[in-house]
Amino acid sequence: MQSLQLIRLLVGRELTLRYKRSVIGIGWTLLNPMLTSLILWWVFSFIFASRLPDGTQFAPYLMAGVLVNTFINQGIQSAAEAIAGNGSILTKVYVRPQIFTISSALASLVNFAIGMLPFIVVVYISGQQIVWTFPLVFVVGFFLALMIAGIGLMFSILYIRFDDSRNIVTLLLMILTYLTPIFYPINALSQSMQSVVNANPFTSYLNCIRWAASNNSEATLTNWIVVFVTGLITPIIGSLMFKKFWPRTVAML
Amino acid sequence: MPIIEVKDVRLTYRVLMNRNGSLKELFRDAIKGRVRINNYVALDSVSFSVDKGEVVAVLGRNGAGKSTLLKVLAKVLPPTQGTVRVSGAIAPMIELGAGFHPELTGSENVVFYSTLLGRDIKKTKAKVAEIGEWAGVTDHMHFPLRTFSSGMVARLAFATATAEHSEVLLVDEILAVGDASFQEKSRARMMELIASGAAVVLVSHDMKTVRNLATRAIWLEAGKVKMSGDPEEVVSAYEKSF
Repeated sequence: MQSLQLIRLLVGRELTLRYKRSVIGIGWTLLNPMLTSLILWWVFSFIFASRLPDGTQFAPYLMAGVLVNTFINQGIQSAAEAIAGNGSILTKVYVRPQIFTISSALASLVNFAIGMLPFIVVVYISGQQIVWTFPLVFVVGFFLALMIAGIGLMFSILYIRFDDSRNIVTLLLMILTYLTPIFYPINALSQSMQSVVNANPFTSYLNCIRWAASNNSEATLTNWIVVFVTGLITPIIGSLMFKKFWPRTVAML
Repeated sequence: MPIIEVKDVRLTYRVLMNRNGSLKELFRDAIKGRVRINNYVALDSVSFSVDKGEVVAVLGRNGAGKSTLLKVLAKVLPPTQGTVRVSGAIAPMIELGAGFHPELTGSENVVFYSTLLGRDIKKTKAKVAEIGEWAGVTDHMHFPLRTFSSGMVARLAFATATAEHSEVLLVDEILAVGDASFQEKSRARMMELIASGAAVVLVSHDMKTVRNLATRAIWLEAGKVKMSGDPEEVVSAYEKSF
């Protein structure tokens, strides 16, 4: 109960702090994915638009990719940083440290949800329509937030112990970005590359979100199973790992 | 039954020798077989208990383990061995204003800090004005904390930490907050809390405070209890050791 109150406060705090010093404030959350998508669209639409399956529009395909990718990248980095960054609190007041990681992942989910507004506009501009399954976008988003919190917990011990682990995580995330079909259609890849990209769990999340929003991709049953299983299992593994190492790590904060 | 019970507590910090907090270097050292782990003993077989209404002062030189002991009592650091039992709400005043953020307003910070301490958010919101008034910063409560002077921040933090009754107060060298009149006020609030039955553990280098407030003193040296008992005796023995 008390934890829930604290999580709510922390999510609000993270969101307000992020925009406090910026002139356009929350507008940045709307503008950033639009600009990124615009540039990628400009560069890649010539190569990839014609390779998409029939009925798939490149603009919403790309924008969904950009939004999910931002969610994953920034989400994992700030979730992993959450405990190290709040070390000054955790060494003085007893709070369950996992609360900071969870709040950070939920704040990223809120950002993702805000990004859905310009996304809806793009869907209609491209001649598609939002379909009745749209609310499932947020269900998938919630499971993605759970997975991000789990990964964040796994990394947070490393973030406290080793300063250069951040560089390694950044590198891993960049590799992950290219192994997720953000701006290319999967069938533009070689057969072997396709199986690698399909084995990436984030591809499943992205497929389900594209499908649920505007039927802009196929989402197989396997995709859905991957979403639910990884979303539930990652936080369990993450918190077990975290609990094992935390007692020895807290003294290093 | 005592409120705080510490039994045979040992706490060791693991220190990686030639550690610079870098994975790359750890990897290099591991290959060359140069990783050595040292256990630094911060607390060793420390036992004591504190009853209701008692004020226990912890003395010792820098690095003797005083702050580590407070952190163990605050449940922030888990002991490597032994047990710590603390019953009731803890108000840790180890560092005033832990969790205060400069960009948030005074009121927002009070609410956040109180929630961190495990207090109910609704009750706190009803009390914010009262806390601000007691700290003497009523006019500033709606401005970001970065516009506060450091004395004002400390006063607000003290007011928030002591706004609700706690069974246990952990105090690290904070009675010297603010100007003379506020020090008087905060001392009075402390006495009030003690009189209402709180158990206090106090770390201080100010022997006058210890003599005035403490009902018992514990002298730590290199993580071990060197002497404990009547504050007058412990303080004079401690002062002679210099």
